Amino acid sequence: MNSHSISPLRIRALVIKETWHIMRDWQTLIIIIALPVLMMFLYGYALTLDISDLPVLIEDPSGSSVVRDIGRNIDASQTFKVLGYVYSANNVEEVFKTWHVKAIFRFAPDFDKDVRNGGTPAPIQVLIDGTDPNQGTLIRNLAEPLMQKAAFGILGIKPQASINVVPDVLYNPEQKSSLFFVPGLMAIILIMIPAMLTSLTLTREKELGTLEQLLISPLKPIEIIIGKILAYVAIAAIDGGLMLFVGQVWFGVSCAGNYAFLILSCLVYILVSLALGLIFSTVAKTQQQAMLLVIPITMLSTIMLSGFIFPIASMPQALQWLANIMPATYFLLLIRGIMLKGVGIVELWQPLCILSGMGFLFLILSIRNLKAKL
Amino acid sequence: MRSIFTLIWKEFAHIKADPLMVRLIFFPVLVQLFVIGYAITTDVKNTPIAVVDYSNTPVSRDLITHLKYNELFRFVGLTTDERHITTMLDKGEIRVGLVIPPDFGLKISNNKSSSVYLRIDGEDANSSQVAVGYMNSVLSRFSLDRVALILKSQGMNIESQIPIKVSPVVMFNPRLDSTWYMIPALVVILVALITGLLTGLSIVKEKEKGTFEQLLVTPITPIQLVVGKIIPFVIIGVIEIVAFFAVSLLWFRIPFKGDPVALFVFAIFYMMSSLGIGILASMIARTSQQVLFLLWFILIFFIMLSGFFIPIENMPGWVQIVTAANPVRFFMFIVRSILLKGATFVDLWREGLAMLFIGIAVFWIALSSFQRRAS
Repeated sequence: MNSHSISPLRIRALVIKETWHIMRDWQTLIIIIALPVLMMFLYGYALTLDISDLPVLIEDPSGSSVVRDIGRNIDASQTFKVLGYVYSANNVEEVFKTWHVKAIFRFAPDFDKDVRNGGTPAPIQVLIDGTDPNQGTLIRNLAEPLMQKAAFGILGIKPQASINVVPDVLYNPEQKSSLFFVPGLMAIILIMIPAMLTSLTLTREKELGTLEQLLISPLKPIEIIIGKILAYVAIAAIDGGLMLFVGQVWFGVSCAGNYAFLILSCLVYILVSLALGLIFSTVAKTQQQAMLLVIPITMLSTIMLSGFIFPIASMPQALQWLANIMPATYFLLLIRGIMLKGVGIVELWQPLCILSGMGFLFLILSIRNLKAKL
Repeated sequence: MRSIFTLIWKEFAHIKADPLMVRLIFFPVLVQLFVIGYAITTDVKNTPIAVVDYSNTPVSRDLITHLKYNELFRFVGLTTDERHITTMLDKGEIRVGLVIPPDFGLKISNNKSSSVYLRIDGEDANSSQVAVGYMNSVLSRFSLDRVALILKSQGMNIESQIPIKVSPVVMFNPRLDSTWYMIPALVVILVALITGLLTGLSIVKEKEKGTFEQLLVTPITPIQLVVGKIIPFVIIGVIEIVAFFAVSLLWFRIPFKGDPVALFVFAIFYMMSSLGIGILASMIARTSQQVLFLLWFILIFFIMLSGFFIPIENMPGWVQIVTAANPVRFFMFIVRSILLKGATFVDLWREGLAMLFIGIAVFWIALSSFQRRAS
């Protein structure tokens, strides 16, 4: 494309037209601006991934004092909360269903005798509600060491020489969940909003028949795309800025790294999203269809596959490949690297290059698709 | 009655006239069920780890071998300098670095306690906590094995030294498979999404085209109009539920222990809410775009506060109270309980009743706003 073939004047006219469209539909505009902020508060207050006070029940047919001691130890741990002691729980499934407990610790009738006499270890059965695998795994891993320690303490046995683990959590030493969800939400919003807006505005023009009018006007496809994109870059930038601001002021998430690099990464990511929106709009005929493409491809896959909540390393191989073609995966590396770790271009040039490459590729594809309409 | 059938007929004609729409109703959702079904494992596996071994003794090398053959970790490498660990953490190549101090081998060989140092990438608070837990269990197993070895060489049995034996039994989901927990919940979300979205869009489309006014001036009463509008989507919703559960049971091999009749009845209660919200959104909004935004917005709240991946018990008290108005929360609990625990009407009547109340309330508000608009 020659340089003189793009006219700034024509693009300006298109930007003004697009801005009018946006301003006229102010309800949508409010949703777009308010949504990210509301989501931040929602995540901020609902998202606690640490597990504590799981209700458990203790079955103790003998009513022995040793069991009570162990029970107090269980209750004192942060993870469990003892709801009560029962004499016997015959139908354990019913107990789980009616009491809503997460585990039942079952002691044998002669537990007291066994544990004092020694020789053979006294058995304790731990029944775990495994429906939520996360909680189930945690209970399984915690139950044994907890009760061993309690039993050792009660019997006055000194534990054997052991290895202490001294953990040093980098980047997020207090394990604040805000440091975790603010970058993640930015990854969701900044891909979803621009893709949705561009694809919807273009399909609306299609539905109304005004896209044909634009295409037969002196405007070139690339000018239409630039004009359409600019207004939405601005909206996305406002969203991004607002989220950074609220994150900083309300949730105390400050950027450890370079702001300029952060802004550059956000802009590249927004561009990828806009280009995706353009591609959707060339495929879909109606706004409804565009929407049904946008939600699964941008929002859901970003939440599920980018490593925001579910770690990529734990997924099956095929999905790890899929995760590797998600723009959000690379943006999350970038934004977490910059905001939390404070690292720069030296460590992060790779994801930045991949993200830029994706944006470039999608843009070329969308321009070619739009040209084919002519 | 005849006019309702005509309306239903008309609605199906609309759906049939848009073949892409029909495909979009089923395929992306099915694809999602598969992709997400495999993606949402909350288990933490293959955590990349690197080790600095300043001790370099048989004991420390033994420990490293323990880590190498543990499937919870992916062993990236052994370095000689702690700074390498920091760089690798910065780049995101590893999530955990283990530093074994110089005196580790000597202390452990002399049966004294020793420390090891972990450097953990804390950017993902959840998985780093889990990884520390795994590391603790690997290390305690390692030291227990050593103690057992030493005792054995002295002719003693470790069993006699341990006062208790803990045997865990995992119920309802014995392999602790996260697909068993997440897929049924996903079905609950997808059903609300599809039924709410389709209802809302079908009404607002008539508003956009001006045919809504035409329908209102016909002899059809507003109630008949609403019933005629939603019955096709109830049918689609039921078909989708059956299809999704077929996939869950046949492909993901999730057990169906409970009462199918209870599930069906509760599903109808549930759809009252989702369809009602769809109608309500179409009354507030003027364009399809606004309906989409509104529904999407409401759904995000419902999903976040449903216990889908954040357990409700962990939320602050006032957030827990807010979730009592969330139909998704109750149906998710019901579906998980019926499938995995074999729950029946008797176990679930509280949740079912709550859902029925929410459904009636939402539907009544939707209906009255529809009638207000019609008159």
